[in-house]
Amino acid sequence: MEFGFTSEQEMLRKSFAEFLNKECPADLVREMIEDEIGFSPSLWKKMAELEWLGLTYDDRYGGMESSFLDLFILFEQIGKVLLPSPLFTSAVMSGLLINDAGDDNLKDSLLPRIIQGKKILTLALLDEQGRLDADEATIEAVQSQGNQFLVNGTRLLVPYAHVADEIIVCAGVKGHGTGGSTLLRIDGKSEGLQTTFLNTLTGEKTFAVRFDDVRVPAGNVIGDVGRGHLHLRGILPKATVLKCGEMLGGLERVVEMSVDYVKERHQFGRPLGSLQAVQHHCADMATYLESTRLIAYQAAYLLSEGLPCETEVAMAKAWASEAYRKTTWIGQQIQGGIGFTEEWDMHLFYKHAKASELAFGSSWFHRAHVFKNMGLS
Amino acid sequence: MKFVFTREQENFRQEVKDFVAAEMAAGSFTVDSAGLVARESREFSLKMAERGWIGLTWPRQYFGQGRSYVEKMIMNEELMKYQAPIGYHFLADRQIGPSLINFGTEWQQSFFLSRIVKAEKEAQFCLLFSEPDAGSDLGAVSTAAVEDGDVYVINGQKIWTSEAHMADYGWMLAKTDFDKSVRKHLACSEFIVDMKSPGITIRPIINSAGAHSFNEVFFDDVRIEKKYLVGKKNEGFRQIMAQMDYERAGMERLLQNYSIFDLLKKHVQKMSDEGENGEFYAWVKDQMAQLEIEYAIGRLLCYKNAWIIDQGKKPTTQAALTKAFCTQLEQRLNNVATQILGPISQIRTGTEWSPFPVDLAACYLWGPSYTMQGGSTEILKNIIAQRGLGLPRG
Repeated sequence: MEFGFTSEQEMLRKSFAEFLNKECPADLVREMIEDEIGFSPSLWKKMAELEWLGLTYDDRYGGMESSFLDLFILFEQIGKVLLPSPLFTSAVMSGLLINDAGDDNLKDSLLPRIIQGKKILTLALLDEQGRLDADEATIEAVQSQGNQFLVNGTRLLVPYAHVADEIIVCAGVKGHGTGGSTLLRIDGKSEGLQTTFLNTLTGEKTFAVRFDDVRVPAGNVIGDVGRGHLHLRGILPKATVLKCGEMLGGLERVVEMSVDYVKERHQFGRPLGSLQAVQHHCADMATYLESTRLIAYQAAYLLSEGLPCETEVAMAKAWASEAYRKTTWIGQQIQGGIGFTEEWDMHLFYKHAKASELAFGSSWFHRAHVFKNMGLS
Repeated sequence: MKFVFTREQENFRQEVKDFVAAEMAAGSFTVDSAGLVARESREFSLKMAERGWIGLTWPRQYFGQGRSYVEKMIMNEELMKYQAPIGYHFLADRQIGPSLINFGTEWQQSFFLSRIVKAEKEAQFCLLFSEPDAGSDLGAVSTAAVEDGDVYVINGQKIWTSEAHMADYGWMLAKTDFDKSVRKHLACSEFIVDMKSPGITIRPIINSAGAHSFNEVFFDDVRIEKKYLVGKKNEGFRQIMAQMDYERAGMERLLQNYSIFDLLKKHVQKMSDEGENGEFYAWVKDQMAQLEIEYAIGRLLCYKNAWIIDQGKKPTTQAALTKAFCTQLEQRLNNVATQILGPISQIRTGTEWSPFPVDLAACYLWGPSYTMQGGSTEILKNIIAQRGLGLPRG
């Protein structure tokens, strides 16, 4: 058991933090909510040049061959500044799917461009009820005789669909030969593909994507026909844990912000932070932070080492979801009126905490998973 | 960052596990709950002493084994899961030893440390800290230790002294500077008191769980030789704060009721989707998973404390946070257990209808004490806020 970073990890953490603090102030986050694209292309380019988009990939694709733990450290820092970027959906989720399930041709042609930030991919996974339905995908891909699929259906909450070169869906294949859940790459400019901006509580760029007789070449299958859900399941633990990293960073920032505020804000002729009721709120926040840090880093470490960690991943997401949300509630409470304004940063984290809680399975969902693995049923 | 144990550590864990299993099989103790540190058996302590498991982390020149706190945490985890009766030496091992190593005289070290690691007769300690008017505000102690030639004369009263009626020695905080202009935290000192000294009267307090664990201890002109002063005169408060870290850092705050969780798991295992009311069972599953997660976190917090101490750092904030987290979890565990078992959970052990061989009702009754002893949750939150986050004192 060791709880400290190596000096390399510490250096990496510092370099992530320095860059992001400088390049992604909260004003940029606000600006990007109003912005049509929703992220800064120049910042995206810089991150690609720093090779952050290829952190865990093989050298042959232009990757850095760093550990998953290093990527987790990056996501913690991303969460701290709430960096708006397609990094998660493109370079991590889509990239990992292709890396794990794609054939060599696909990897050779697509991964370098994803890693260089020249192509943006996104994943469209949720049905109209917001369910991840990969096991029995309600989006339909009918195999037609012209060696192509006709795709029909709707996906919700698809990040950055408006700028995506390709959208990956997990569709239910019907028609000749084998069928079932299958991953398909769909050109973002396909005829019959319609994206509608969804105004959500975070204001981030997320879309409804409707597929209306969209023609997809048969060669656009990632991995095996009928095994799309399995390919997807392979990367979900990593996606879930990186989300936890992002949440950990956000949580950390809320604690810093709140503690700084109550040290400076004076009422009754004394700092708010000298009042015990406020101190105990702060102690609770610190406890949520430390507990989340331990349980999330444990999952990240075990994943990084390739050790079995199904339960630990579920524990991390279940706990982080609650802890982050509760911390933002406390943060809102002790930062008072100013904390409830647009100009103050607190609301960005309050929103992020809720959106993250609902992503990749709620705390209830993950507790059900923990219970399943306790061997009591 | 490493969330696995080394091979040597895993081997050591196995060694302790095997020892505990063999002792249980031989009937040297049965699994119990709640009164962890109160369960004592000098024979059991002697067996641990033989293996070098008392004073495990103390440096070799102080009769210890010089092993890491992570190893000690591993050992305690295995002992405490099954409530092994380690009460005879536990307190002395946890905090008397480290305090003497830090602050004691050569005579105190050689006399007491050697006896503690061998679990000799007359080597059991109790802590004479709290007083009627000095609970959370420990610096306010008024029990007086007045110099008189070669001795200190003690007068006053202590309260909530666990196991005073069993202990051979008491570790006491007393006032030694009576100048009113001196801050109270700079006016007290630590002493070791022979509990058989003339002038000491011990009166039992029965707690609301019906058990005799606390006592009141009265001092009436008790004379103790000056060689029993520990560390520097008037620096007792600072010394004691260092000691409190050890008191708060360990697994005993997480695992005193682990046997209840174990039994509860077995109980839940017998439930099923078909056999139970669906809504109730769904709730049970969610609660069990939540407890499992919190145990996992509590365990990581404890190991992190050990790791911090092994790095030669003080775990003050971390230990306070750990103790607050773990004791609240233990309270919640007993509450959830009664809710899952329903009305029969109130039946204490000893009848054919008692739900568990371990007294769940007693555990629930002990609950309020967890978040008070060793620093109340509120005091611990003050420490986290003021020492950890740097918030100003009120």
